[in-house]
Amino acid sequence: MSDTTQPLLKVRDLTVTFGSHRRKLSAVAGVSFDIFEGETLGLVGESGCGKSTTGKALMRIVEPSGGTIEIEGIELTTKNGKDLRNLRTRMQMIFQDPISSLNPRRRVKDIVAEPLDCWKTVEGAEREALVNDLLSKVGIDPVAHGNRYARQFSGGQCQRISIARSLAMRPKLLICDEMVSALDVSVQAQILNLLEDLKAEYGLTLLFIAHDLAVVKNVSDRVAVMYLGKICEIGPSDTLYESPEHPYTKFLLGAALEADPDSPIHGDVLSGEPPSPLNPPSGCRFRTRCPNATEKCALEEPQLVEIATGHQVACHYPLSTLARK
Amino acid sequence: MSQEQKLLVVKDLATTFHTPSGPLAAVGGVSFDLNQNETLGIVGESGAGKTVLLRTIMGLQPRTNVDVSGSVLLDGFEVVGASEKAKRSIWGLEVAMVFQDPMTSLNPVMRIGKQIDEILRVRLGMDRRAAKARALELLELVGIPSPAVRYNVFPGELSGGMRQRVVIATALAGSPKLLMADEPTTGLDVTIQAQILNLLEELKEQMKMSVVLVTHDLGVVATRTSQIIVMYAGRIVEMGSTREVFAHHRMPYTRALLEGSPKVSNPSHTRLLAIPGRPPNLLNLPKGCSFAPRCSFATDRCRQERPELENANAPGHTFACWNPLPVTQSVSA
Ligand SMILES: Nc1ncnc2c1ncn2[C@@H]1O[C@H](COP(=O)(O)OP(=O)(O)OP(=O)(O)O)[C@@H](O)[C@H]1O
Ligand SMILES: Nc1ncnc2c1ncn2[C@@H]1O[C@H](COP(=O)(O)OP(=O)(O)O)[C@@H](O)[C@H]1O
Ligand code: SF4
Ligand code: SF4
Ligand SMILES: [Mg+2]
Ligand SMILES: [Mg+2]
Repeated sequence: MSDTTQPLLKVRDLTVTFGSHRRKLSAVAGVSFDIFEGETLGLVGESGCGKSTTGKALMRIVEPSGGTIEIEGIELTTKNGKDLRNLRTRMQMIFQDPISSLNPRRRVKDIVAEPLDCWKTVEGAEREALVNDLLSKVGIDPVAHGNRYARQFSGGQCQRISIARSLAMRPKLLICDEMVSALDVSVQAQILNLLEDLKAEYGLTLLFIAHDLAVVKNVSDRVAVMYLGKICEIGPSDTLYESPEHPYTKFLLGAALEADPDSPIHGDVLSGEPPSPLNPPSGCRFRTRCPNATEKCALEEPQLVEIATGHQVACHYPLSTLARK
Repeated sequence: MSQEQKLLVVKDLATTFHTPSGPLAAVGGVSFDLNQNETLGIVGESGAGKTVLLRTIMGLQPRTNVDVSGSVLLDGFEVVGASEKAKRSIWGLEVAMVFQDPMTSLNPVMRIGKQIDEILRVRLGMDRRAAKARALELLELVGIPSPAVRYNVFPGELSGGMRQRVVIATALAGSPKLLMADEPTTGLDVTIQAQILNLLEELKEQMKMSVVLVTHDLGVVATRTSQIIVMYAGRIVEMGSTREVFAHHRMPYTRALLEGSPKVSNPSHTRLLAIPGRPPNLLNLPKGCSFAPRCSFATDRCRQERPELENANAPGHTFACWNPLPVTQSVSA
């Protein structure tokens, strides 16, 4: 990635705050990242760290409290009404629970056509042909299954239908939030392979949110790690998994078990649980669980800085610099 | 292994539910045994019958509309056909179960300390003071920080990981010989999962228990168990030592499970082995091998005759398949 490439999506200092003045919860506490055209950025982190809220804020399903979101150079946070809806067609989101995100009483064909009908982009035979094509692309036979109701389908099939619907408006960016987490292994493999194929075919750019580290690595070119509302590390997937720079990333990867009896169980298990986002620690948010924390970590918040090309880390003492000492 | 060392011997165990749509064979004839102080992993996709199998071993079944046949010998006690009263004498003391969702096994309106006390008093006949002391010990044992404070909280005030620790504490209250854990870490974050799995392993050693660990996470079975059972549509399709089954599995479904799940050590964008379709409807099982509709090696024989478990090369390793993968087949080079 050269500096001259404009990112498709540029997010700066994004914050999302829930609650009233007295009980303020910063679910997303200043997050910045780019996603370049054609790439997949993975977003990982433990439950409650703010992954879904980040995704929803990008879609403006929840309102950001601060920061900027640019898609293809157009600022999204200041747009309203029709302009916003227009921009939204360039981004689509797919959620975890495939079954409840589809209306059980609608026919599959009409579900897939929802965005087309809403925008009245195509009608009649053209609409029919487009829907059939989308269904075939995701592996659902439009003739045999197109007229059936969503409730008659399994989780994996519903996820295929969701994908078909999300592609109807030919979006540039697809935000996938835990889209395979509820699926069984064999179905998960089908959907992940399908996603890779469609990405190539439609030239999609992806933000892939999930807590499963192996799944995220499988689909992502770069991965961002979140902890308590902030990004602590972001870098190329293979590099980040091989030589993490942030202590939290290292613990997270250490806890991911390899499906191989000969792989070691990493000795270091992160103790404790994440602190409440209602009352985050001062300085570095990870310091209450970090074995390398010093006084500085309590006083100064580490900023994301580039440590190698495309590899950023927010830690006063990145692991490679510690190792050198 | 001599017969005396077997803590659990399961033979031809079948559990059939009578549903409005007909008989549903959730467990369709399962045999295996388990040594003392051993950890057995059971893997399979949802609906494979893992939970029903564990509940049947415990003797925990709905009173009506269910048929159980075969035998479960638990430390010499025959569970199948035993009276409720007789079973109650082994629950908690011989065998205990940790369920997937800790909330289902905890009473939401009762302080957690009281819940453990109650088990100790009812099951072990301890008096109030001894029970409280032991409950505090158990909370400490499962790694609950400041047990004296937590003794008085309600389950809803704890995180998912802490609740699962409480459930484990209640399961251990009667020092069972066999602990069965049904997806004990599903839904928990990986760092919390690692804490719970380490805890189970330490407790197993400390208390000399055997553990049955049901999971759909292959990383968990690979690293935490010594024996493994692969279930498909209510039956065992392959089993053996974990190492052997991972390295030299013979049954195509086992391969699909192992190679269909992404690995942290593989480079990104590694193509996954994906098999078509999904597990069969148990109300309407195919005649021969249940996996045949999804199997790329299926032949006419597979669709007619069901393969029984047969021996592989290594002792204790068995698989059920008419056209097994060649012996040299191995997951990782
Ligand atoms: N509508 C809301 N009102 C108040 N708090 C919220 C709301 N939505 C999310 N939160 C809080 O914001 C934080 C981040 O939540 P979010 O759902 O983004 O986490 P996540 O990383 O997606 O977690 P998971 O892995 O469990 O899906 C959490 O503390 C959550 O409780
Ligand atoms: N009480 C019951 N009545 C009828 N069918 C049941 C009952 N309990 C479980 N089943 C069925 O038995 C099969 C196996 O279920 P289960 O053991 O829960 O699977 P797993 O734990 O492997 O996901 C499923 O088809 C399930 O719907
Ligand atoms: S900044 Fe300090 S506390 Fe935070 S991760 Fe780095 S060493 Fe640990
Ligand atoms: S018996 Fe036949 S259908 Fe079944 S797994 Fe073996 S080859 Fe496949
Ligand atoms: Mg989420
Ligand atoms: Mg189950």
